[in-house]
Amino acid sequence: MKYVDEFRNGALARAVAAEIASVTDPQRHYKVMEVCGGHTHTIYRHGIKDLLPDQVELVHGPGCPVCVLPMGRVDEGIEIAERPEVIFTCFGDMMRVPGSKGNLLEVKAEGADIRMVYSPLDALRIARENPDREVVFYAIGFETTAPSTALTLQRAKKEGLRNFSVFCNHVTIVPPVRALLDSPDLRLDGFIGPGHVSTVIGCRPYEFMPHDYGKPCVVAGFEPLDLLQSVLMLMRQLGEGRCEVENQYGRAVPWEGNLQALKAMAEVFELRPYFEWRGLGFIAQSALKLSPAYTDFDAEVRYTTPGVRVADPKACQCGEVLKGVLKPPECKVFGTACTPERPLGALMVSSEGACAAYYNFGRKSFEKVEIGSRP
Amino acid sequence: MRDAMPASYCTLDHDGCVVCADAGIPVRVVSVEGDDALCEDAAGNRAQIAVELVAPVGTGEVLLTHGGVAIGRVAAQEEDSQ
Ligand code: SF4
Repeated sequence: MKYVDEFRNGALARAVAAEIASVTDPQRHYKVMEVCGGHTHTIYRHGIKDLLPDQVELVHGPGCPVCVLPMGRVDEGIEIAERPEVIFTCFGDMMRVPGSKGNLLEVKAEGADIRMVYSPLDALRIARENPDREVVFYAIGFETTAPSTALTLQRAKKEGLRNFSVFCNHVTIVPPVRALLDSPDLRLDGFIGPGHVSTVIGCRPYEFMPHDYGKPCVVAGFEPLDLLQSVLMLMRQLGEGRCEVENQYGRAVPWEGNLQALKAMAEVFELRPYFEWRGLGFIAQSALKLSPAYTDFDAEVRYTTPGVRVADPKACQCGEVLKGVLKPPECKVFGTACTPERPLGALMVSSEGACAAYYNFGRKSFEKVEIGSRP
Repeated sequence: MRDAMPASYCTLDHDGCVVCADAGIPVRVVSVEGDDALCEDAAGNRAQIAVELVAPVGTGEVLLTHGGVAIGRVAAQEEDSQ
């Protein structure tokens, strides 16, 4: 399969793994964070961890938008979905994220008109087909997804659709990474940057990592070889004492990003002064809301959501896992009170959530993990 | 190749999270119709993709799509050299 097979070649992967081993200092322990949930998924699915030397530890970052959504925002979405005039549309994974009183799937079972869509453009189509109903789209995601919401809103405005609105929960990737770097309980050696976010925002936004924090960053693609090569590039930087942003995923990531997409986002969105992240707390300028030009399409304005704050369940340790302080199986309820079938925390819901990825694919390595054995 | 999906439904799939996160799927443009293009993924699934954000596009180009919208391109030279 073109674009896929060449990045899953086993012999090549072993050759890159051998090279990684050859540049690894056996006296040193390396902690590398993959920011993006898509990378976490690839790492477990393809057993990348088993190919790396023991000295190289991969830490999972906050890059799964479902997982970082605070409970209050889930509850507010549910409140809108329960209104009789509303057709509520959202991505599939969103349906199972637990709010304080259940999830969207349960509300749907009780009769709310909630529909799963693959694209915000599908929500727009539903609005066109149901002029007597109010169609709300639950927008969620990083800069990969934000352009599709922006484009959908631009089309809605052009068409003059009045029964369509967006409950905007888009977040941005740089502020949480900065917050992690500022947090004292985490010592990292470098970052694997998110590939598809970077297709949109380019590589420049990561320059603060080497400049302000002295941490190298390699923007990586999503196939197993992409990831291995990125680890190699990082290890080489560390070995040679270099510290810069490098782009492993050049075939899809232009250094400047996608200017057309950024322009659409700039027209439709503006930065929120602050936004709550599950496990990370409030982070300044870390999320998007609709710009004044799009207020008519803003579900938060249309339905005056109160902005409630709901604390996570006590047993849940998603925050520590999100910050990379704990590994998923080190959470007290992992695999017992919290499983993909009955998730307690959001990290168990999405296939990109670190806990779900660990649960589904990481069992082998999971058995090997000695809890608390790593520095 | 599988049957073409109804063009109004976007069902391109890929392993990983297809719904909301950092997933991008490479697809080849089959035909362009205004702001949309009929595209085909590696498994032969076809879907209508919005292409305003990468316009102009031509038949045969490889785009990276996310949730029914093209967000980037896959460069031809590297695609062949790797
Ligand atoms: S096991 Fe469940 S509760 Fe614990 S960190 Fe993972 S998702 Fe959160």
